Amino acid sequence: MIHAKALSKSFRSYIKQPGLVGSVKSFFSREWTTKHAVENFDLEVQGGEIVGLLGPNGAGKTTLMKMFTGIIVPSSGSVNVIGYKPFERSIAFRQQIALVMGQKSQLWWDIPALDSLHLLGSYYEIPEAELKSRIAHLAELLQVSDLLKIHVRKLSLGERMKMELMSCLLHKPSIIFLDEPTIGLDLVAQKTIRRFLLDYHEQHKPTIILTSHYMADVSALCRRIVLVLDGQKQFDGPLEKFAQILGTEKFVKFQFAESQNPNSESFQGFKATWNPEYTRVEMQIPEKNLRDASIKILTNHAVVDFHTEKLAIERVMDELMSNPALAASTQNHAG
Amino acid sequence: MQAELRKWRATFEVSWTNHLAYRLNFILLVFGPALVFFFIKYNLWKSIYTMPGITVLQGYDFDQMLQYQLLVLIVSLMAQGHNSMKLADDIRLGRISSYLIYPFSFFKFHTASFLAFQGIQVLICGFTISFLMIIPLVTFSDFNSVMRGLYFASLVSFLWFQLQFLVGLLAFWLEETWILRVILMTTAQFLSGAILPLEFYPQSFVKFLDYTPFPYLTYIPIKIFQGDSINLLNASLVLLFWSLFVYAINHILFKRGVRLYTAAGM
Repeated sequence: MIHAKALSKSFRSYIKQPGLVGSVKSFFSREWTTKHAVENFDLEVQGGEIVGLLGPNGAGKTTLMKMFTGIIVPSSGSVNVIGYKPFERSIAFRQQIALVMGQKSQLWWDIPALDSLHLLGSYYEIPEAELKSRIAHLAELLQVSDLLKIHVRKLSLGERMKMELMSCLLHKPSIIFLDEPTIGLDLVAQKTIRRFLLDYHEQHKPTIILTSHYMADVSALCRRIVLVLDGQKQFDGPLEKFAQILGTEKFVKFQFAESQNPNSESFQGFKATWNPEYTRVEMQIPEKNLRDASIKILTNHAVVDFHTEKLAIERVMDELMSNPALAASTQNHAG
Repeated sequence: MQAELRKWRATFEVSWTNHLAYRLNFILLVFGPALVFFFIKYNLWKSIYTMPGITVLQGYDFDQMLQYQLLVLIVSLMAQGHNSMKLADDIRLGRISSYLIYPFSFFKFHTASFLAFQGIQVLICGFTISFLMIIPLVTFSDFNSVMRGLYFASLVSFLWFQLQFLVGLLAFWLEETWILRVILMTTAQFLSGAILPLEFYPQSFVKFLDYTPFPYLTYIPIKIFQGDSINLLNASLVLLFWSLFVYAINHILFKRGVRLYTAAGM
């Protein structure tokens, strides 16, 4: 579905010193810098996969998306998406792809979404009757049937994103690129969109490439993670393996009815972080000790609540971003 | 073929819907610049012709000059109403990405949008001519001249569209293109005869202008409206040549420019 080999993209821009003097200087003599947004990137994606591209801002995720969709031309390397060179932008290629940009609307702002959908229906050569039925079906699934005739600029962010999704799925693309599809949405809207995408994938099996800063999106949708740092691939593998690249310790939180003695035997041997009242503790317990240690605490202490970490990948991402040196150690995991 | 026609028709419809979304904005956009420009020129010429001893300038008395300037208004409404100012911003701000993904080419989309706009302009122009004839401020020698003039002004609109598009495409290389647009507009106004009839310029300069597309933008359409004996076929072919020439340049510019496109802000 996607074959990228040694894909690179560099951008050239000039450096301007601040202030008037800097402006005058740069008017006569410009200092240029080249940013390597993506470097020697290899990627193989099979049909029907949902792959999450992870990385901090400026890591190169969106640049990859732009190259995969043919919006920008690679500086070097080769890329083939569904049998086409994306930057040649053949009509047959465009008929089979879709891109949703969470930060940029693709719908016409000053007209109702329905007008945009009809326009796109004609671009994708969907027969009129079929188009009407697809619009009705998608609108019902996304619960936006009563919003179709409202001007796009009057819609809320969540409503607009649903319309964006509709517009990109109208032609049943075989590959969908989702760039931050839930950015800025409230939790309910995020969940609705995730649920919808999962159902849609289950039914139509398109390949999906997703970038998101919300780890909840990634863990709900993707089975495979590709970590991009400084334009290079640092990890490529299953979600579960990604969550463990910094170790297999489990993070477990216990809440107690009353203050506890932190020196109690139950808490010894593990890294524990207590609140000032000693009523709550977060422990890092090796996977192999998890069962025994938990039973001991549950049996000997007045536990009122406990849970294991829900989004281990969020912690991994946090640590990788706050300590980029760790990224080097993940090199070995790159597939 | 049918699918292709459907794409064009749908783009027309969306363009019309888009243009008509804001009524006041649309009316001001269509009439504003040409009307303001006309009234400035009306007052200017009125002042000039009331100066002592001035009754005829280069063969134009005040009434003839007024007729000329009204025809400039009609030609600019018909041929120079469209502006692709948005194109440069769209390129600079990374807003053309969608058009590179939809299976309808960027050029076709813009051409269809232009044609849709032009459709509205024809109606407005027809209304303006009727209004000016009823008052009556403008007179035509015969109906045939009006039709010939409208036909030729429509051809001019294609060339104007291509010229505007060319300046817009330069945004692939330049961060700001507005000054180029101003230069194009000002040069075109002067050299096309939109400010002064070309009779006011030296003969040798007018002869030189014949080798450029400028007289075809305003002066020649006006002469056709006025019923002068201008070979319409020849003039059309010259205009077609210039339109195709600029179109070819645009095509090359787009092909090269899009390789530099960074889709900023996405």
